[in-house]
Amino acid sequence: MENVGAFVCTGCDIGEAIDVAELEEICDDGGAKTFVTHACLCSPEGVAAIQESAESEGCDGLMLAACSARCKRAEIGFDDSDLIVERVPLREQVVWPQEPQHEDTQMLAEDMVRMGLARISKLGPPLPIDETIESAVLVLGGGLAGMNAALAAAGMHHPVVLVEEKEELGGYLAGTTHVVPEAPPYDAPHLNTLPGLIAEVRAEERIRVCTGTTVEQISGQPGQFQVSLKGEVSEQGIGIGAIVQATGALPYDASRLTELGYAESADVVTTHEMEAMLKNGGVRRPSNGETPRRIVFLQCAGSRDAAHLPYCSSECCATTLKLVSRLGELCPESESVVVYRDMRAPGQLEHFYESVQENSGCIFTRGDVTSVGSNGNGRIAVALHESLIGRDMVLDADLVVLATGMVPRSADGEAIRAYLDAKARSETSDSEVQRAEAAKVAEGLKDHEGTEILNLSYRQGPDLPVLGYNFPDSHYICFPYESRRTGVYAAGTVRAPMDAAQAAEDGWGAAMKAVQCIAASERGEAVHPRAGDRSIADFALQRCTQCKRCTEECPFGTLDEDEKGTPQYNALRCRRCGICLGACPERIISFPEYTVDAVASMIKAVEVPDEEDEKPRILAFMCENDALPALEEAAKRGLKWNPWIRVIPVRCLGAVNTVWIADSLSSGFDGVMLFGCRRGDDYQCHYIKGSELAADRMGNVQETLDRLALESERLKVIEIGRDEFQRVPELFEEFAETIEEVGPNPYKDF
Amino acid sequence: MPSTPTRPDSDADPGRIRERGGEKITKCCQCGTCTAVCDLATPETSFPRRQVQLARWGLMAELASDPAIWLCHQCNDCTRRCPKDARPGDVLQAVRATAIETLAVPRFMGRLVARAEATWPLLLGVPILFFVVLLALTGHLNVPQAPFPLGSFAYELFVPHNLIYAVFFPAAGLVMLAMWSSGRRLWRRFDDAKRRRGSFLSNLVPVVVEIATHGRFSACGPSESRKAGHLALVWGFIGAAVTSGLLIVAIYVMDEPMPLPLAHPFKLLGNLSALLLLAGGFLLVRGRLDRDPNSSASTSFDLFFLSLVILVIVTGVLAEAGRFAFPNAVNCAVYVVHLGAVLSLFLTCPYSKFSHLLYRTLAMVHERMVLSPSIEDPQTAPSEVVVPETVGVTT
Repeated sequence: MENVGAFVCTGCDIGEAIDVAELEEICDDGGAKTFVTHACLCSPEGVAAIQESAESEGCDGLMLAACSARCKRAEIGFDDSDLIVERVPLREQVVWPQEPQHEDTQMLAEDMVRMGLARISKLGPPLPIDETIESAVLVLGGGLAGMNAALAAAGMHHPVVLVEEKEELGGYLAGTTHVVPEAPPYDAPHLNTLPGLIAEVRAEERIRVCTGTTVEQISGQPGQFQVSLKGEVSEQGIGIGAIVQATGALPYDASRLTELGYAESADVVTTHEMEAMLKNGGVRRPSNGETPRRIVFLQCAGSRDAAHLPYCSSECCATTLKLVSRLGELCPESESVVVYRDMRAPGQLEHFYESVQENSGCIFTRGDVTSVGSNGNGRIAVALHESLIGRDMVLDADLVVLATGMVPRSADGEAIRAYLDAKARSETSDSEVQRAEAAKVAEGLKDHEGTEILNLSYRQGPDLPVLGYNFPDSHYICFPYESRRTGVYAAGTVRAPMDAAQAAEDGWGAAMKAVQCIAASERGEAVHPRAGDRSIADFALQRCTQCKRCTEECPFGTLDEDEKGTPQYNALRCRRCGICLGACPERIISFPEYTVDAVASMIKAVEVPDEEDEKPRILAFMCENDALPALEEAAKRGLKWNPWIRVIPVRCLGAVNTVWIADSLSSGFDGVMLFGCRRGDDYQCHYIKGSELAADRMGNVQETLDRLALESERLKVIEIGRDEFQRVPELFEEFAETIEEVGPNPYKDF
Repeated sequence: MPSTPTRPDSDADPGRIRERGGEKITKCCQCGTCTAVCDLATPETSFPRRQVQLARWGLMAELASDPAIWLCHQCNDCTRRCPKDARPGDVLQAVRATAIETLAVPRFMGRLVARAEATWPLLLGVPILFFVVLLALTGHLNVPQAPFPLGSFAYELFVPHNLIYAVFFPAAGLVMLAMWSSGRRLWRRFDDAKRRRGSFLSNLVPVVVEIATHGRFSACGPSESRKAGHLALVWGFIGAAVTSGLLIVAIYVMDEPMPLPLAHPFKLLGNLSALLLLAGGFLLVRGRLDRDPNSSASTSFDLFFLSLVILVIVTGVLAEAGRFAFPNAVNCAVYVVHLGAVLSLFLTCPYSKFSHLLYRTLAMVHERMVLSPSIEDPQTAPSEVVVPETVGVTT
């Protein structure tokens, strides 16, 4: 921005804490066209004063030194296509946490104004996106979640293409006659309402149903996906705006449960085989067609078991209750026994559990099954340790029903990609050793061959990346349905184990996210977490060295590659996290509001005192998602901190380019701190891999510092949660002490 | 713990507990609240949670040999605290009723009394009929007419004492024999019989004292009316038994004329016992009618017993009072019913609720003999649950 107006608010004690008049000269030096102070910038009069002054001076950018950008957004709002606004949070970072009218406080305020002006001078308006956006939603999977997603999207006036690989709609529930109760009084199974739902889907004219069909390929980006179908419907180039993957789950393979006798006896069946018996007219022993006298249900068959499925599938207990209840009606002469580890009937299902307990005569017992086999007399002997009475027990049964858990029908996109890469290398690598090595890797990943579901033509693989237990990765807590591929949303049992009622709701949730994504794409805005952000990345490709770091490190598969390995940016896939900017060693990637140069200018704008002044300077890069709000929370709660700290907000710790560390140290900063979200299995990074990448990159920088005989303690990466605001001042203080011990930066006076 | 695994089969019939008053057993979720509030529970026994599950499986043989079920005083703390309304107290009552049936000698008597809802006319009618036939056969089935040898009507003129002895002495012998066999059976079956130390008799004495004072009954914290009713009934029975013995002494040793005058000490004791029985019966019946939350479910099994006791008391009192008020024909009829009811009470007592007198006593002696320190002395057992008071507004 060329014509920047500087506005300083003196309200909220800013005028009392610092000498505002001193700032005028700094703004002049920083190239500001105006300098206006106001007792309350967020009042209508204050906003009018900004507007009047900006218009008369022809400003294209405003530096508002007042409160945090997270405050007063409604009061001080300007359209970013007319005016770029830089908010300098004097209130949160100077007035509240520092001693008023102190020399150090004044220096901090002046540095912050310099940094704000330096940054805004480097920013430009957002690049326009002018592209046609498709409004259709592709729903993959015609089960309960998929059909609900299709109806939801159609209800929001979006055309829907519903793709189901089987000949009929219905999914898993098509094999059942009844479902667990979903409405008061929750005491008996309900008739499956699937036929009505299927009819509704078929009758909805906005929904195009493609049964017996699978996806051949999906290319493009949200708002502009190009989808090819194969099978009964074979068609190329279908324009799609967003995708809901509702591919469901499969029952766990019971033949792997050798200790439960599934392979050994025909009279050991799974829950869904039992459902089929009920659907086809009656419960008989598969071995001899007789009506079973005693039916034993074994819960958690292969679930919550590290050797099989480590998780709880959440619906098996309720399904068993449903079967017991149905059996009470269909074969009242049969006795049922349920062996559980603990019955889980959450929410209203408790009423169902109580009703079945009271009315069915079924015996419920906690126990650990030790073996299932023939009793030598035509029946099955279920041996267990009955832990309620503390006794080993053998139950003679005519039918054993295994409550097997759910395995998501997902594909591990990254593993498929790794497999294909290794396979290619095993054929094309130059050396024998490399080929053998690659062949070995390919062998280890062979299970992933041909498992593609979405067939995305993405550089990072054809399907959603998966997290634990093969459920698609997402930032589960904040954004259910969200996956690591923008515009592709997971719903139903492929996303997480759930029952029918939840799956139906999930379909609606995912459809709403899909529709939201299409709307955001039309406006050129990022979908979450930077919802509304219109800045898109700019690649100065003439300087690209094809190192592929950006294409590999992007957590969202935004970048494809041409044959040479040059990145191809897909703006609508982009979450604007800036991890590519942090990765690029050539620094060719920038966003209009976030450039390597802008941050470097901020660093250089700080006036670092001479060594003899004994005022060290510490730079803190703080993630905007959690660390910066934690800092402001600390200020709001009246905590004080060291005045040597200068804060630069970053989009993500992964969006910190290592050149900034070099810039900081060469500018005379004595130490650099990086505050980001937690990484690892329970990561809280809003961009999944940002904290992890930052830690790796900074580790490399620390090695370099050591090599340059510059103490590696001068650089510190910290993981912090939004709720850990109390730690922030403590961490500042600890680091300041470390810096005092290490001594001043030897480059300070250069 | 048995080395072979338990094998509950379809014949174990867990439904029997439901039929016998424990119909809420299926609601049990085995949370253990009952165990937490029960004074009898020890870390090893998990009483009564574990017993409820054994009952669920229909493992009656195992339950019958568990002393804990007999130590339970039916205070119903468990029933009041049960979050699922599974009424563990009722389940245990049903368990005891079923155990009484399994321990019965001979078996058919156990089955007859267990099904009192259908068999009560038989159980009561046969003894009454027996007396009618006996009197007819011995030529006594006629109302004695004045003048009476001693000036007023006496029941001996209607039913000679010897006839009564001829019936009740053998009946008492049979009952003793049946109780002896059942008691021995239970005594041998008790889980940890091998751990018993000391002599039976020396341990029996403190147990009898405890029963006489209802010491543990109070520690259990039942409602006052149940304890008072039960205590009155126990002492009424003891008084009646003692009076019967004293009457034999009066007739054959002291040679007193029958009936005794009202002021005679034996007569006073007899009437006091009758009053206690009346009062006890009244309190217990009222408890049931009031649906006292401490009260158990009313099953035909215990209703039969209670009704029989009340019938005996009422006919006894009526017979006594009738001598002064009613025509003798009515008195004779009441007396026959009374004798029949007493005989019925006699013959069914090893199989009715009355038998808990035997089984509980055995269990208490057994408990003393295995020297379980935690429940040996009711004073040391944690008898009160400390309920934290709600924090009030500071004044």
